Amino acid sequence: MRLPTLKPLGISAPFRSVRMFRTLGPGSVSSLLKIALDVAYVLLMLITGILLLALVAAIFVPLTGPLAGQTYVEGTGDAAREVPITRTLILFGLGATSAYFGGFLLILRNLRQIFRTLTQGDPFRPENVRRLRQIGLTLTVVTAGVAVAQGLIPSIPDPGFSEMLTPIFSVLVVFVLAEVFKEGARLRHEAELTI
Amino acid sequence: MAIRVQLDRILLERRMSLTELADRVGVTLANLSILKTGKARAVRFTTLDALCRELDCQPGDLLVWEPGPQDPGVEG
Repeated sequence: MRLPTLKPLGISAPFRSVRMFRTLGPGSVSSLLKIALDVAYVLLMLITGILLLALVAAIFVPLTGPLAGQTYVEGTGDAAREVPITRTLILFGLGATSAYFGGFLLILRNLRQIFRTLTQGDPFRPENVRRLRQIGLTLTVVTAGVAVAQGLIPSIPDPGFSEMLTPIFSVLVVFVLAEVFKEGARLRHEAELTI
Repeated sequence: MAIRVQLDRILLERRMSLTELADRVGVTLANLSILKTGKARAVRFTTLDALCRELDCQPGDLLVWEPGPQDPGVEG
């Protein structure tokens, strides 16, 4: 969109370049964020990949070696008892951890896509609303999953109310941001069709 | 939309092409055709001013209201 002036190029061209610089200039907050997102994404990919490989190995390879016949101490204090390490236990542990990291991988993937639209100069798109909602849902599922897993395994203490407060708040923040983006996308669309 | 922009008729009367008008007004051809085909949702006063100056007409000559269904709101 261009303002109707006698010299449209003279006004819009520098404006555009200034905006590009501000969005992703060297040393800006955005460029630091981008590095952080990329590093976290690669790390999470590696962790999730290794966990999935271990999960597949645990399904097909019988339990032998140093872990076979070992026990671990479940519970604390007087309630403590020794439980043998079974294949089911290992599968559950690996599966739950893979799902946990997989959830964060999904969130990071969405975040990077949102960031890409920002560097392109137009983050207020309907797709970003969908991505933010997906992030909120993933956070909800991961939080609920952690709570359930902690309830299932007695050796991990149940999460207290204060521990659950942070994830619940972050889910709320993400959903509010999604609504803000929805309004932003509407305004953007309207501005595009204002001549 | 119940509001129609009669750019076609006035351009025909003035024997002016859309490209020429775009050049003279300083609005891109793409934006001008959005205006012409009735897809636009709003017109800036500055645009209206430039259009009226170049076409030597009044805003009332450009815009017409016709009874019709109201434009549904845009869902982001």
